[in-house]
Amino acid sequence: MITAGIDIGSTTTKAVVLKDGDSFSYALQPTGIDIGSVSRQVLTQACEKAGLKFEDPDRIVATGYGRISIPFATTTITEITCNAYGVHHLFPNASLVVDIGGQDSKVIKIDKNGRVIQFAMNDKCAAGTGKFLEVAAQTLGVPVSEIGDISQQSKNKVPISSTCTVFAQTEIVSLIARQTNKEDIAAGLHESIVSRVFGLISSVNPDPKAEVVLTGGVAKNAAIVQLLERMLGRKIYVPEDPQIVTALGAALLARQWED
Amino acid sequence: MEDILTKFRDYCERPYERAAQIKATRNTKIIGCLPMYFPEEIIHAAGALPVTLFGSDEPITLGDGHMMTNACDQVRSSFDSLLKGKYDFLDGIAAIYICDQVRFYLEVWQLDHPVDFFHQMWRPYKLDSSTQVFFRSELERLISSLEEFTGSKITVEKLQASIRLYNESRAMMRKLNDLRKDRPGIITAADMARIVASSMFIPREEHNELLGQLLTKLEQKEIPAGKKQRIIAVGHPCSMPETEALDLIEENGMVIVNDDFFTGGRYFSKDVAASGDPIDAFIDFYANAIPCTTYHYADIWIKPDKNYSPYADYVISLMKDGQAKGVVVLKEMYCDPYDMEFVLMKNRFEEEGIPYISISSGSLEAIRTRVQAFEETLRFV
Repeated sequence: MITAGIDIGSTTTKAVVLKDGDSFSYALQPTGIDIGSVSRQVLTQACEKAGLKFEDPDRIVATGYGRISIPFATTTITEITCNAYGVHHLFPNASLVVDIGGQDSKVIKIDKNGRVIQFAMNDKCAAGTGKFLEVAAQTLGVPVSEIGDISQQSKNKVPISSTCTVFAQTEIVSLIARQTNKEDIAAGLHESIVSRVFGLISSVNPDPKAEVVLTGGVAKNAAIVQLLERMLGRKIYVPEDPQIVTALGAALLARQWED
Repeated sequence: MEDILTKFRDYCERPYERAAQIKATRNTKIIGCLPMYFPEEIIHAAGALPVTLFGSDEPITLGDGHMMTNACDQVRSSFDSLLKGKYDFLDGIAAIYICDQVRFYLEVWQLDHPVDFFHQMWRPYKLDSSTQVFFRSELERLISSLEEFTGSKITVEKLQASIRLYNESRAMMRKLNDLRKDRPGIITAADMARIVASSMFIPREEHNELLGQLLTKLEQKEIPAGKKQRIIAVGHPCSMPETEALDLIEENGMVIVNDDFFTGGRYFSKDVAASGDPIDAFIDFYANAIPCTTYHYADIWIKPDKNYSPYADYVISLMKDGQAKGVVVLKEMYCDPYDMEFVLMKNRFEEEGIPYISISSGSLEAIRTRVQAFEETLRFV
């Protein structure tokens, strides 16, 4: 059976295609404003990489913020259930997932079968998410892909007190005006995000020995991974491509999910 | 049947229209009551109309100039309604002490917008023999100040008649609740909340009449057994949950079979005894109220290494009684008593392995994801 998972996130749309539950191909693109055509394109690309056509998947699960807007999906499942299942497939011993995406961050406790036991998400505001990093990078005039490395060069980290993305931007502007090094500002920003995520993790009372996996676009930022490892006092596992784990979970669940 | 439900919906849409009408046509005093637990029966026995004030879902534009923004939505929004003139039909206001936010709200109200009748009634957090003497004097003080304001003597007979009327109302609400436990989906949770809420806006006699008609029709209605997951919903101890959130839950594979909202089980679960001394009956009602986050349970206070929350245990009993698979906690933001109790509740739920999710107000899209994800986890329970 050919299955596909398509994860329409606030920032990036990802598609994963599976043949009989393995040998997967995937594709991703910025979500933009036309969810319908972007998701079609992304799924087509993922199919082509596997030598297939858009029409070939037997079952398609849509997940992520835009999941309800995909007419060609067989069904929808939330990004929480899909992410947990995708992580379990890659890391069978994982019992805690931290996902930091474009506009939300979530923490999921999972059981030995990859099922969700409990979860927590940031509410109302984008502090502690990829958007926070994006806005900060823009204000500092550096590419978001480099802000992690820049922060690691800091010798004198400055605290960023604000937990709100918009107010943090104001804070950065005033730090720039005082000629603070961008490395030091970047280090403070990373600490701010990780503290926020750490708070979210604490809210689900995780097992202190839980194997932790970090997913989502922000997991590509090595500085975040390192800081979170230090705060949690243990190793954090990051998938090879942390952005597509939720779409992978969706494609895996497509085989068995009942509406 | 749909026409009766529409009437209840209309009352919630324009909650104070009926009271304003009565004010314009009858010589009836209208007393605004701040939620929760106000003994409306006593106001009724004085010949006045008690109207519970819930605020509105309009954006708060004036209220924040007078109230801190970390007050609960209920208090902020209600104050906003006051400043917008929506409570102009009132002759007086009254509240029973449940938390400091409501207490200060009442005091700021009286400072900013003095009304003819203003009554703060004190209810001890801990109701036992040591505080019952005081609580009795508070009930007597309420009775005498209402008598003075309305010029109408509140006799034992009048009080008992009012208690009977409210008991009849609560009995019908319980019957409605039992119907949804037996035939889930027979009435939506949103309509259930509206029915209970509207009883607090319009004369109880009119509400009882309407609810009686609805029950007759509902009792004949069969509901095919569905596949939806049975859950219970709790929270909003003194306010009305957003009906949109209730609809979201029930549109996503779940059905609410019981609740503990102020506009739900919390309001109608217990009666006040209609025989004997009415003051004794009220004392007994408050002393034996269903567990509440605004009560202090001194005898069974927290012991180290033991999670204890009479409220959580009550919620667990509701769940078992309703054969529900999980609990959705709809939290009123910045409700201190509930937020504090929630810490204990969470521990008890985790100890018992009870699936739960807590949702504070937020964008409906964000709530949808949480609700849908919760339903997905229940499939494996």
